[in-house]
Formats: sequence, structure tokens, C-alpha cells
Amino acid sequence: MKPTSISRRGFVKSGSVFLAALSVGPSFAYSQKIEENIRVGIIGTGSRGCGLASIIKDMPGTQILACCDILPNNLKEGMSYAAKGAKSYSDYRQLLDDKNIDAVIIATPLFLHYPMSLAAWQAGKHVYLEKSLSYDIPQTIDITNKVKNSSLVFQIGYQYRYYGLYHKVKDIIQKNWLGKVTHFECQYNRNSNWRNPVSDPKLERIINWRMYREYCGGPLSELCAHEIDMVNYLTASHPLKAVAMGNINYWKDGRDTYDSIQAIYEYPGGIQASFNSILSNAFNGYNIKIMGDKATVEILRDKAYIYAENTDTQKGIVDGVTGATIATRTQGKAVELNFKKQGEEDVDPTLFALTDFFSCIREKRKPVSNVETAMETSIAIHMGNAAADTGTQQIWKPEFSF
Amino acid sequence: MKNKNIILLIILLHSVITSFKIDPLKEFRITGFAQGTNYHITYYASEYKISKEHTDSILQSLDSSLSIYKPYSIISQFNLSEKGIQIDTHLQNVIKRSLEIYKTSKGISDITVYPLMQLWGFGTKSSDKDPSTADIQNTLLCIGSNKIHLKKNYLSKDKPCTKIDVNGIAQGYSVDIVAGYFDKMGIENYIVEIGGEIKVRGKNQSTNKNFRIGIESPSENAADKPIINKILQIESGAVTTSGNYRKFHESNGKKISHLMDPKTGYPFQNEMISVTVWAKDAITADGYDNALMGMDITKSFQFLKKHKELEAYFIYHDKNGAIKDTATNGFTRLMLPKK
Repeated sequence: MKPTSISRRGFVKSGSVFLAALSVGPSFAYSQKIEENIRVGIIGTGSRGCGLASIIKDMPGTQILACCDILPNNLKEGMSYAAKGAKSYSDYRQLLDDKNIDAVIIATPLFLHYPMSLAAWQAGKHVYLEKSLSYDIPQTIDITNKVKNSSLVFQIGYQYRYYGLYHKVKDIIQKNWLGKVTHFECQYNRNSNWRNPVSDPKLERIINWRMYREYCGGPLSELCAHEIDMVNYLTASHPLKAVAMGNINYWKDGRDTYDSIQAIYEYPGGIQASFNSILSNAFNGYNIKIMGDKATVEILRDKAYIYAENTDTQKGIVDGVTGATIATRTQGKAVELNFKKQGEEDVDPTLFALTDFFSCIREKRKPVSNVETAMETSIAIHMGNAAADTGTQQIWKPEFSF
Repeated sequence: MKNKNIILLIILLHSVITSFKIDPLKEFRITGFAQGTNYHITYYASEYKISKEHTDSILQSLDSSLSIYKPYSIISQFNLSEKGIQIDTHLQNVIKRSLEIYKTSKGISDITVYPLMQLWGFGTKSSDKDPSTADIQNTLLCIGSNKIHLKKNYLSKDKPCTKIDVNGIAQGYSVDIVAGYFDKMGIENYIVEIGGEIKVRGKNQSTNKNFRIGIESPSENAADKPIINKILQIESGAVTTSGNYRKFHESNGKKISHLMDPKTGYPFQNEMISVTVWAKDAITADGYDNALMGMDITKSFQFLKKHKELEAYFIYHDKNGAIKDTATNGFTRLMLPKK
């Protein structure tokens, strides 16, 4: 089955749709220009799938015309965001056969990402696949080879690639505000068992799939994935080596995914990045520190701070330095990084990611978060888990590079 | 008896000798945080005479008078007032000198630019927004040091909207006050620096040479280490620098300087990057470095011809945008030859 081109539908091109959407936020000034709706199907209407549906529902030029889930409650919830006359499915293959669907959102457990997204692509659908890309390295390589040159849009749900905060951080790294960057310290911690309530014990593995390696890679693929993707983005590279240690040292409740993992990656230029996720302490929760010899940037969920290093130039050559007043550069003093444009409201970066997805469909563009960027992140995740599982260092192999 | 006298004489001689013996001078360093910036002090004394607590206390009292960032300060109260208030000696001293400089600089240096600073987002609240022409014109109605009047200890203003910001001179004044305290305590060798404004007396006792002062060159960004490519060696006096390379914000890719032209209401648009001034005291140097930033190179040198009490060093953009520097002859004599 070869993917079919989208040209059968007469989408109106609008050159600056994506940029306009970024600068005006969610006001969708371009809506009048769109003649036809993009018809969307949602596969997997759990909490993330419904979260995406709730955003898409209000986006002009799109219509949710189908939902699919194997759990009736999820399906019912998903359908509440769908348009009138939308169809509900319990088998995703039937949804893919639906000729009235142009694009699918896939928000299912990780082990289903590869078969579902591949089938969707083969059925000629544009795909927005939640992170991470795939369950193992062979799947990662296979799907990348298949879809990377496709005329269909294949986007992965790494929405932080669309977040102004990270754009600003990348900008200041390029402007050398941090000096030579040598370390990234990333953590994604929680103090909870990370479980969802289960009404029927038979559903335990379906609902709490994050507890089981049969279905996902645990905290590294489900939590740290965003941070790994961001370090890849900020360094414009991928890790070369990985070592890691993983354990189940707190939630001994039958799970077999780690409740504690510490992975250390080496990036080009000897940059070391650590990714930690533990489920028994939530101090600082989501946190990324980027350390340079001039300053540190600390990234929280929706804020970032710069901490300048002490730069005492007084030693040795001179007794004092005269210059324009230096705002305090006491070590440890936080200066908030301003990344928002004037008057810009707080917007969920997922909205920007979805806006890009639909614009790419209309303009036949490659999305910012595409299969190639997601592939590098996925392989890094798999290297980290393999390092923890085997206790041996993992190396980025030449065949991982496309 | 004779023996007793001899012993007494020996004791007397000993005490005379010891009282004349000079204890070697030790180096003491104080560093801290004041007025939104760092300060560094090095002094030489035979014993520990001045503590960080002493220094902080002096600087805090200055803040309570001169800081627009402290809502309780006297300057803040003046700014909030309708007609004026009684002010303390510190603020009087600073106002007197600021008004002098306002006159000699023909209005280029003007402490009443504060409403403009706020409008452009450089006051106590930051903003990346460019003000509208109408806003600028309205604000200009509040600007002008001829709208404030100091009579004894009462500072009055003609318009409630007139507000003052003495940040361009307060650090220099603070350096003088701290240095004055060291003088009073009998310390003859020190270097006092607050936020890049410096006063020295005596010598570095470790090297037995005059104090060396590095002049910072603009670095690429605010978080960068300053680059020092010129070094001064001065016997006494004060050195201060004003520059637009550290405090600015970007608007449409263009850097907006924090130094405001009180006549146009817009940031100064000239070739200046930074001006370093030498004078006998820091309030003079600091008071004039901003004024010179508001002139161009030609006007600055004309001005300095008439003001022999000042020496200056300029970093500026030439017509092609390249970074150049120049200095008065007197200033050049203070500079160490390049190795």
C-alpha cells in the first residue's frame, strides 16, 4: 500500500499561517481562508488523547469526525469533543478505513505507536503521534526509513519544540551567555505511584501500562523523553554514548518498569547530560539545568532563570575594574529569563504543535517535530534503558544516523 | 641606686623604641552587595579596623536616602509627593551637585529624566514595549531640572509628575562617603569600588605600587565576563565609567539604551559606547560620565577643554561601525603602556 497524496483535497495555501499563529497566539486569524476542514480521527481517547481533542475541537478548519478506544468510558469522553455525526470505533483499523478521515492523532500506549502509526501512514492519513516514537530500536529505524520522505505529514508530539521558552534558551546559548556549556542536568521526578485507578482488576495492565515494560520504556520513555528531546534540540545533536542505572526501590507493587532511573549521556564535544526520574520524591519536579562556565540556566515548566557565575576579574592583574554598572552577579542569584513576546499570554505549547501539524498538512511542509528528530530521541531513550538493563555502556551506532 | 636608674632608663628606652616601631600593614578585603550591584574594598592597616558590617551600614543609610528601588527612601517619597518634601543631607548633596552638572552640561545630564526611564522600561518596572510618540510628548512636560528647587533642606517641584533618579551619580557619591569614612579612621591606603565606580588613596602595599584599575570593554552580552584591555595606574582620585553596553533592551532587533535624552524623550543616539572619567572625587567623575555619554566625541573634547578637573577615555563606534577608543592627554598619562 502506497500512501496517497493529499492533493485530492483543495486546501488553500496560506504562506504565513504558522508564523501568524505563533505571533498572535490562539486567535486563528487565518480561519476565513480555509475552504475545507481537515477531518481528524483520534485513536486513543485516554487523558492525553482527550486533552489533544479538547484543543483541536476549538481550532478552526478542523473537525473531529471519529474516535477510537477499546475502553468504552474513554471512547465516550473522546466523543464529547467530536463533531456532530462523528463515528466511534473500538478497532483502530476500521477508523483508518474511514475515507472521511484525513489525519489521525495517536495517543495510545507506547508499544502500539509503531503498528498504529505505520498502518495509518499506509492508509494515507497524516499522523500526529504522541511521544515517544516507538517501542524499540528496530521499529524506530523501520518507521523512520518508511515515512521520512513521505508527502504525508508525520509529526511526533514533542510540543516543547514549539515552546518560546526553549527557543529563547537556544538563542542565549548561541549568543554565548552561558559560555562553554559542558553539562545538562535534567530531572523529571514525582512522589506518587504513577498509577490510575482501575475499576476491574482485568484492566490493570491496560490502564496502568506505564508500569510494564511489555508496553513502554518506563519513566525514561514516558517522562524524560521531553527533556532528552530538548537537549537534542538545544545541542542540535544526539547522544553518542549512554550509561545508566535503574531500579525499583520504592514502589514494589508488581510493576516492572523502573521507579528510579539515572541515565548519563555523552553528547558531541564531551558534553554530559544526565536524565533522572524518581517516583518517590517530587522536589523540583520537572527541572533542567544547563551549565556553562559563565552561567547556568534553570528551566522549570513555564519559567527559566539565569544564574551568573562569579567572575572576579580583580585578582592578579588589577586592583579594581571600572565599567558600566554591573547588575549583581552574585553566584546563586536568579534572574528570570524573559521569553514571551510583548502581550503574549501563556499558551499550552501543544496548541502550537497542533497548529503546526494542520498548517503542514495544508502547506505540504515537514513539521518541526518530525520523524527524524523523534527518531534520535527514541534511540537515546532505548540506549538509556538498555544501559540500565544490561549494566553496560551503549554506543550510538552508525546505522542509527540517517 | 645607680643600678636602679640604669634599669629604669632601659625600660624607658625600650618603650620609646617600641612606640616608634611601625607595625607592618596588612591587607583587608570587604566585598558585598549594595545598590543593586557588588562592591569590593581593599584596605591596608596594621590591624582590622573596618568591618563589612560598618560598610554595609553606611551603604544602607545611603540607600534609604537615594534609592528609587526602596519605596521608603527619601527620594521615593519625594517622587510620590505633590509639591516636595524635606530631604536629608545625602540627598541634598547629590541634588546640589546634579543641578551644577545640569547647568554646565547645558541640560544634557538631568536627574528629572526618571519618568522617561520608566516610560522606556528602565525604571523600577521593566518593559520591552516602545512608548508611543504621544506618551513621550506628554512625559516630556514633566522633565527638566528647572522644575525642581532646593531651598535649604526643602526640595520642591513645580509639577507633581516631576520625578528624579540619581542613579547616575549616587554610586559615585556613595564611593566618596565610604572613602571618607576610611579617611576618618586613619586609613591611608585603600581602593573602594561600588558597581564599577572607584576611588583610591595611597598604594597597593603588597606591590608597593599605585593601584591598578582595569577599564572594562564592552563584551558581547550582559552575562559575559568584562574584557580588560586598558589598565590605569593612579596615585589618587576617582575613576568611574558610564556605558550603554550593559543596560539596554532590544526592540525590533535594535538596542535601546537606558540613557535618555531629556530634550527629545528618546534614548541618546550617538556613537558612544562608554566613557571613563578621572576626577578628584567620585561624585564629580560619576556626575560627568553620563553627561559625556550624551555628547558626541567632538563636543566631549570641547567640553573637556573647559573642564581641566576632568580627564576622560572613550570607547565609541566610528562611522563604519568599528569599535575605537580615544582619550584626553591627561588620561593617557595615567594608562600603563601596552605590553
